[in-house]
Amino acid sequence: MSNRDIVVENLVKRYGDFAAVNDVSFQVKSGEIFGFLGPNGAGKSTTVQILTTLRLPTGGHATVGGYDVVSQATRVRNIAGVALQEIGLDPLMKSLELLTIQAQLFGFNRKDARARAHELLRLVKLDDFTERPVGKYSGGMRRRLDLALALVHQPDVLFLDEPTTGLDPASRRDIWLEVRRLNRELGITIFLTTQYLEEADELAERIAIIDRGQIVAAGAPEELKAAIGTESINVTFDNTENAASAAQELDNMVERIQTDKKTVRLYLNHAAAAVPAVVNRLQGAGMNPVSLTLTQPTLDDVFLQVTGQRFENETDAKEKIA
Amino acid sequence: MSVLTVTKSTIPGYVSQRNASFPNQVIMLTWRSLVTIFRTPAAVIPTLIISAFFLFVYNASLGNASNFLPGLAGKSYLGFILPVSVVSAALSGAGVAGQSIVRDIENGYFDKLLLTPVSRGALLIGPIVAGALVLGLQTGIVVIIGLFMGLDPQTGVAGLAAVMGYALLLGTGFAGFTVAIALRSGNAAATQGATFLFFPLTFLTATFVPVDLLSGWIKTAAEYNPITYILEAMRSLLLSGWEGDALLKGFIACGILGTFTFIFALSSLRGRTKRK
Repeated sequence: MSNRDIVVENLVKRYGDFAAVNDVSFQVKSGEIFGFLGPNGAGKSTTVQILTTLRLPTGGHATVGGYDVVSQATRVRNIAGVALQEIGLDPLMKSLELLTIQAQLFGFNRKDARARAHELLRLVKLDDFTERPVGKYSGGMRRRLDLALALVHQPDVLFLDEPTTGLDPASRRDIWLEVRRLNRELGITIFLTTQYLEEADELAERIAIIDRGQIVAAGAPEELKAAIGTESINVTFDNTENAASAAQELDNMVERIQTDKKTVRLYLNHAAAAVPAVVNRLQGAGMNPVSLTLTQPTLDDVFLQVTGQRFENETDAKEKIA
Repeated sequence: MSVLTVTKSTIPGYVSQRNASFPNQVIMLTWRSLVTIFRTPAAVIPTLIISAFFLFVYNASLGNASNFLPGLAGKSYLGFILPVSVVSAALSGAGVAGQSIVRDIENGYFDKLLLTPVSRGALLIGPIVAGALVLGLQTGIVVIIGLFMGLDPQTGVAGLAAVMGYALLLGTGFAGFTVAIALRSGNAAATQGATFLFFPLTFLTATFVPVDLLSGWIKTAAEYNPITYILEAMRSLLLSGWEGDALLKGFIACGILGTFTFIFALSSLRGRTKRK
């Protein structure tokens, strides 16, 4: 298999005195799905633009598939598929026409370009809308067409800049399935920026969080979540008295315990493994909870820890702008 | 979603690292520009109507001028005024090239193309060739209207083809100018405004009378205006015959105009596509 790595070393992008990207380093391995998270203005898009050859770095070095993004830009374009946050589609063209042109620019002959276009339209469920101008597509349809355009030449590396923004949950799940499948079956390296933490959590094997132009955390989502704190077991009873009694019974089993009306929250490492012991202890004491749930730290908690702000703020802001 | 079953090596027709040749890229981008131009007929039809309107109005109001204007005695005023409409159609038709590019810039498709291995030159030439084809069609229609109005060119069909050739050269040169403005500004209004520069070009010249009959500042302006020599070349074809001197001056005027506008367009393309 060809080299499908992304290597970023001490990348810097300055606009005057402002460093949009400040000494950023990370590596994405061949065949990996890598999530790149950060609030607005953190440097995500600038990094993507440098890696996709739209911008030049001020300093540092980056390669995509082994090709230097500065000196071998054309080779990078040949192996990289890009779906940018701003969807650039000609509203007067039809999807089949756009895909056919894109395929021809990448070296397909006309007949095979049309075949490839039809295949991709089926893939993104737009094959019933080939005669409709793109300007009359919904946001979700445009996003799916944009993904199809990025896949025309079967890239080794796929850059997805917020690929599901504006999509309904069903379309979002479709994209997730397709991203996973492309990665699993074709071994495409996927570099994903997203404003949805659950998306990064769901898809990415490793993530990096960028804030004010610098990487503030990187690793597997589970590692990052485990690093910031403990899981919790939430046990709910039918009344507050039973909850208080259960809290006394369980107090010596956990690192920290919190009672909130009818619910007892037990904080401990490896909570999942401790669930049977908690249930046994309660049953031994003749206590029957109404429900028992396991809560794990989220990437939002990680984000809060490393940036000092909740990630949802960004999502809210974007939705207000939209 | 359905599932793709191919691997990279099995995609039909895919040849890794061998992208479309430059001529093929130009053909594809020209075709795409033509498709979008003809899907917005409002961008083409009004300019054609205005050019035909000039022809009707000028011929109706000044048609008898050849009876008393020195140098035109016994000649058709229609043959004298038709080149003005042809030039007008060529210059306004050339504007669609700039409009085509600025639309791509505004809707983001231009950036999408920059992410492909397409040659930057093809991004420039494709819309210009499309503009040339549109203006060729427009000027052809104006010439046909002229024939229906009684135009009888001294040089026959070959002369009419030469008139069209001048129109193509002039229009293509002007297309380079509108494309340059589109690339520099990235703004539809600015590009549209630049297109209207053709008005002074077509009126600061020997529009209604031969240049010898002009005087003062407008004569000076006409002598420096390349359109003057292109009009005179066309008029000689329609009214006099194959006059080498007039034809050569017209050709040189087209060449000078085209050279400047293409240098301007190339430098604007570099500015737009240069990675920063």
